[in-house]
Amino acid sequence: MKKRKYLSVVVCALLATTALAQNKSALAPPPISPADKAAIQTFEKQVNDYINLRNKLRENAPKLSKDSTPEQIHAYRTALEQSLRSARANAKRGDLFRPETADYIRRTLKLEFQGKDRQQLRDTIFETETQGVVLRVNYPYAQSAEFSEMPATLLAKLPQLPKEVRYRFVGRNMLLVDRESNVIIDYMPDALP
Amino acid sequence: MRRNFLLTLLISAILLIPASAQRLTLPMKDGSVRFAVIGDTGSGSDKQREVGEMMAQYRGVFEFEFVLMMGDNLYGGEAPKDFEKKFSEPYKALLDNKVKFYATLGNHDQSLQINYANFNMNGKEYYRFKKGNVAFYSLNSNYMDKKQVEWLESELSKDTSDWKVCFFHHPPYSSAKKHGSDPQLREVVEPIFIKYGVNVVLTGHDHVYERIKPQKGIYYFVSGAGGQLRAGDVKETSALVEKSYDRDNHFMLFEVAGDQMYFQAISRTGETIDSGVIARVKH
Repeated sequence: MKKRKYLSVVVCALLATTALAQNKSALAPPPISPADKAAIQTFEKQVNDYINLRNKLRENAPKLSKDSTPEQIHAYRTALEQSLRSARANAKRGDLFRPETADYIRRTLKLEFQGKDRQQLRDTIFETETQGVVLRVNYPYAQSAEFSEMPATLLAKLPQLPKEVRYRFVGRNMLLVDRESNVIIDYMPDALP
Repeated sequence: MRRNFLLTLLISAILLIPASAQRLTLPMKDGSVRFAVIGDTGSGSDKQREVGEMMAQYRGVFEFEFVLMMGDNLYGGEAPKDFEKKFSEPYKALLDNKVKFYATLGNHDQSLQINYANFNMNGKEYYRFKKGNVAFYSLNSNYMDKKQVEWLESELSKDTSDWKVCFFHHPPYSSAKKHGSDPQLREVVEPIFIKYGVNVVLTGHDHVYERIKPQKGIYYFVSGAGGQLRAGDVKETSALVEKSYDRDNHFMLFEVAGDQMYFQAISRTGETIDSGVIARVKH
């Protein structure tokens, strides 16, 4: 009896260890070349420049607390959106997703989405109802449209983003959006294989 | 004379309790943690309002303290009038009675909802709170990035609560035809749930009710028909599911008493669609 109990504890421990080991490998980013590393660093610097700008603009928006009313949320979102759009009036597609960054991200996406077992992943992204979303830099993502879930396994492999910005898919296109205002900062057409 | 009076009083009291509320299956033990669960609510439809009214009726006999929301709290726009029509009005009776709502974000929810006072998210997309011997983790399954995974692992690793309940929008396990299981999310969170002894996972997204057969010792529920409904969406023959229901909207009630967690799923019209008890596995 004691022996059986001991055996079941060992089996459980083994299962947990195997699951976590598989989990770690699922989250590991692909190998990165020196050129990729440089591209990622440039991208991260540009994202940080954007964050500095938006956080400065945010200071002039109405204050938002964790106990806000719907009216306060609406006022904050509108003010942030307008000031961002005005400050980035000359922003254009490819400003942040430069060719070398886009190339690295496309390869990462290709690796993540290949294989039969990833069909469901594609289905999840393509079933997202994104009617009304106009793909235009410096314009807001349509409020009535839903968001595609960003696969957790993919997020672990893409260049990491600060909390103020998000990756998002619209069909095969990949967007970089401002989390609070939902303004499209940049996008990559036909990013998904 | 006095006996007749008491008898009349008793009969009157029974008649005054709505028929539906009499079918409560929860034990109502002293000192228990009591809460309700709703998912995919924010349609602003008559059905959502009727579910809200039924919840208020049940609260008359089962005084739950708070409500967990499984996401898709507001469909369509998020102007101030939407908060009113899709949240404050349907749950007015509960809000008036100081019932707290704890929300999580669904794929229809804008991030700024985290700042809405009545969602009690404290400005965070993922957060933890504790009631009695139960720790609750609200996660953002739309965007399960490294930071969130690390936070979850760090919080769970030091959590000594008897019960650990995680709630978020996308179901790691679901038999529904429209969305079904989310294997990518499962790949990342399930090993953490197993390692740190999460007992119960509550989700929405599929507009049905499902109680999944325990998976690696964890109980999973899909409760995604608080305001939306996808009739005929459950796979009746699925080996994954213990109990499912897709004929009407629903909500759930939970009661945690010591090592037992009791649950009851109730339809919009007050019909009990599922009930049972989960015994805590000591880790």
